[in-house]
Amino acid sequence: MPVFRTAFNGYSVKFSPFLENRLAVPTSQNFGMVGNGRQYILDLTPNGLVQVAAFDTPDSLYDCSWSEENENILVSASGDGSIKVWDLSAPPMANPVSNRQEHAHEVASVDWNMVRKDSFLSSSWDDTIRLWTLDSPHSLRTFAEHSYCVYNACWNPRHADIFASASGDCTLRIWDVRQPRSTYVIPGHEMEILTCDWNKYNEFMLASGSVDKSIKIWDVRSPRQELTRMLGHTYAVRRVKFSPHKESLMVSCSYDMTVCLWDFRQPEDALLARLNHHTEFAVGVDMSVLVEGLLASTSWDESVYVWQMGMDPRAA
Amino acid sequence: MAFRDLVMGGAGCAVPGQDGASSSNPLGGLADSIIGSASKTQERIREMPGLAGASQAGPQFGRNGPLTSLPGSEFNQAQWHDGQVPEYMRGFQSADPREFTDAWNQSVERWPPPPQLSTVPGNQEGALFSEFDSIYGQQAGPSGAPLLDAPPQRVLNNFLHSFFDSSRTNAPFPAVRLPELGLSQADKRRIRDRSHIMGRHIFADKGDTFVDSQVNGLLHSLDIDESLGAQTRGPLAGQIPEFEQLWKEGFAQSNMQVVPRPPMSLGTQWANEFHSQVGPSGAPQGWADEFDNLQTGNNWANQMQEQSLSHLRNGQMGNMAGMEQTRSLVQTLSQNQDPKFQSSKFLQFVSKMSRGELIVEDNQVKSATTNADAWANEFQQQHPESWAAEFTAGEHQFRGDTWANEFARGKPEPVTTNDAWVDEFSKLGVKDWADEFGDQMARGALGDDVSSEWVDSYDQFVEESVRGEQMKAGSSRFVYQFADNNPYVGHPNPLKEGQELFRRGLLSEAVLALEAEVLKNPDNAEGWRLLGITHAENDDDRQAIASMVKARDADPSNLEVLLALGVSHTNELEQDEALRYLRGWLQHHPKYGALVPGNVSEQLIPSEVEGLFLEAAQMSPEDSDIHTVLGVIYNLSRNYVKAISSFERALQLKPRDYSLWNKLGATQANSSRSAEAIYAYQEALDLKPNYVRAWSNMGIGYANQGLYEESIRYYVRALEMNPKADNAWQYLRISLSIASRNDLLDAVERKDLSALAKEFPL
Repeated sequence: MPVFRTAFNGYSVKFSPFLENRLAVPTSQNFGMVGNGRQYILDLTPNGLVQVAAFDTPDSLYDCSWSEENENILVSASGDGSIKVWDLSAPPMANPVSNRQEHAHEVASVDWNMVRKDSFLSSSWDDTIRLWTLDSPHSLRTFAEHSYCVYNACWNPRHADIFASASGDCTLRIWDVRQPRSTYVIPGHEMEILTCDWNKYNEFMLASGSVDKSIKIWDVRSPRQELTRMLGHTYAVRRVKFSPHKESLMVSCSYDMTVCLWDFRQPEDALLARLNHHTEFAVGVDMSVLVEGLLASTSWDESVYVWQMGMDPRAA
Repeated sequence: MAFRDLVMGGAGCAVPGQDGASSSNPLGGLADSIIGSASKTQERIREMPGLAGASQAGPQFGRNGPLTSLPGSEFNQAQWHDGQVPEYMRGFQSADPREFTDAWNQSVERWPPPPQLSTVPGNQEGALFSEFDSIYGQQAGPSGAPLLDAPPQRVLNNFLHSFFDSSRTNAPFPAVRLPELGLSQADKRRIRDRSHIMGRHIFADKGDTFVDSQVNGLLHSLDIDESLGAQTRGPLAGQIPEFEQLWKEGFAQSNMQVVPRPPMSLGTQWANEFHSQVGPSGAPQGWADEFDNLQTGNNWANQMQEQSLSHLRNGQMGNMAGMEQTRSLVQTLSQNQDPKFQSSKFLQFVSKMSRGELIVEDNQVKSATTNADAWANEFQQQHPESWAAEFTAGEHQFRGDTWANEFARGKPEPVTTNDAWVDEFSKLGVKDWADEFGDQMARGALGDDVSSEWVDSYDQFVEESVRGEQMKAGSSRFVYQFADNNPYVGHPNPLKEGQELFRRGLLSEAVLALEAEVLKNPDNAEGWRLLGITHAENDDDRQAIASMVKARDADPSNLEVLLALGVSHTNELEQDEALRYLRGWLQHHPKYGALVPGNVSEQLIPSEVEGLFLEAAQMSPEDSDIHTVLGVIYNLSRNYVKAISSFERALQLKPRDYSLWNKLGATQANSSRSAEAIYAYQEALDLKPNYVRAWSNMGIGYANQGLYEESIRYYVRALEMNPKADNAWQYLRISLSIASRNDLLDAVERKDLSALAKEFPL
């Protein structure tokens, strides 16, 4: 399956929710420590992955998210605390069409609301989460309860107002934007929590991945104890993602350089596959909503792989 | 708590209301916010097409819906009313970004120097101010920003990589001084903040002490002042607000159902924190103090001062010492046998870096560890004045001292790490730990191996310093090393035999025969000259120079000898020596001698020498030698485009000169045109199949293109012809590592070429 070489170190990969062959890949120079960023837009063609557009930024890019209402709109999370809004239909000179500079420190994640499709979230190393719409140049609200970097914030796929956040303060928080404060606190792991994702079929089910190398599945209504815990990564889990097509299927990537597929319904035998195609920290992974079983991953090894589940990503 | 300080950083102490991300002081904060992205975009990615207009003031999105259409947003109304867009920025809001920059530059010029600087003793003040200027020249000036793809960036990139890689090897990350990378203060700030945070993700399960020592190693190497290092807090020092609240309420009714657990690695800290919160005279006061400290606004000033001082410090001792230590780092790393480490990009960098130093024909493949002069020259070209100053200030002393410090500090590191683990173990008694420790020991990451690496490096350093002393003495430092047990000694006519062997391409044999000749007739210039050429073609520049110096002593006006010496010194990046010989060549040339002014000054100015040869080229444009020398001179000044066209011109006149093809190839390789270089080397090899240097250069050409397996074949071929080409061994080792063929490193150790040739037939 196709591989694409990026000029900088990959940080995330996201399939377009509109075009089945399109991906966005934010990348950073010098492993995101210092230097420029570049947001790639790639298309899967019969000739492999082809660059459609690339936008350069003055600082690292750590994440991106496609708009759920306009196929040409994309937001990127930048190391300088800004959020860049890109419009693929605008001329290159006009991009970024908007630059939202409110976070005081690195923006770690952005996530578009799948239900109320005009809003998105950003989470930052300044310990806060901000709520945005495209219309407003300023954030609508700041959620400041975490006591350390917020590495990830993601909307519930069913409820327009509910989202979860994962923080270095070792907690997950569940929020309802209609409420003044967070609804639940889940002291999820004994080490920093780097990522979380909602199950697409069970509105109460949340997965978290941590520096403690484990992935946990939660019912957010009972935060005392996880439903299940999956071990297999040998370093911090950088990203987890539920399948849009099968309730119990998950994919994760880790600083151990591997991408793993899981079935959390089989606690004894949850690890379905471990993929070794990356040669540096694997930091980005996604599952296509439009094509069942289509996976993408990226890594600090400056590569983007797209493959069909069950295949070897490296197989030509 | 201090971690917040790191994360929130000096921005909190900067201009009130400013959110200058990653800025360490008011000026930086101001810079970031006023011209922030816009100006940085212009400065740093200006070269990229289609980006010139990228600016903050881009059009907003078309639709103008109500701002508060989302539920919950009413909780946040005051959010951006004050402070988010400072007053002075509003004035700029619609302005042309260029005006921003200008306005900024003006404001920087007018900005009074921080008062704290005046506390510094008078004689340093000037230096500090100029430091200050240079920092802001870099940060704000449109031309001061480093080009991002310039070599320092590569150094940085690879260095950072080795930092992250150290999570896998568990080896302490030794502090080394890198060459000046031109990082701005804001960049350093970024690296510091990010390495702290990301370092914890990667090294987390090895304990905080380990994280800190790794991160500090990185920061120290990059000359980033970890001024807040002592206060660094981990991700969780026990401040989950709910927890405090719960405690206060005595676990009263609350919709928070759970008490968070402490992170394992912070057990004691947690307990302390817990106690101090319970205790009557507990934390609140302490926290308040700490908060005060954060807010006093002294921070940036102190930091500024410290950074300036550290810069100064670095200026005095960092340069030469940095080169030494980088080389020793390189050496240490390349000896690390851990497969994952071996496949690190850092090793690729090692190979590229050491090759990047090399110029021209006979592109001498030197190990990075014998490259002192290359580094020196490299540096001299970049920072001529400071280098000179440095040099007179007595580099040796500095080299010795810093190394000693480094060594003293480096060696105990494993012990420290060990202690940290022991502590942790005793605290937690985690079973894991024992396993992990076992692993560590098995891998030797903690034990003697590390120390002995340091010892090795140290020995090597001593050896190098000694060699360095010899080198300072000029050409005389090259002492010719004769082979033992030379079968040609006693041969009736070793010169003729040598010439014949050379003609047949049996270079190693030819060396022996010619050595026999010069042992017999030490004044035979031709014997020495041919010996020198043979060594050069056999990929041994040191012996080549030693022979050529002897040849020159025997016949000071031999043109070929002078040219060969010029080329060899160019390979060694010794500009003055090279120019002296090349000018000597012109001076002794019957046709062009008149061009050189009678009273030859000792002062060698490259452009003047170049001018002389350009005149000569005008006199006789059909003389390929002139073009060859010009090519060499352009290589010295790194003007590879002109160098290539000079060699191409020479080749038009002398298409069958294999050494010219090799020179062309080496120049192309140096100017990142390795694919073309392969073609040139192939031409050289077609003309002279036993041209060892061209074989190994070919390997370098492939390695430069990332074709490491291919490169191995060529190195092996070169070594089959001359197993004494130490540098080719070095490069073979690197290529094997990168190609993940560590299994063959043993064969390299044994110098078992047949095993290698079997794996990698050509």
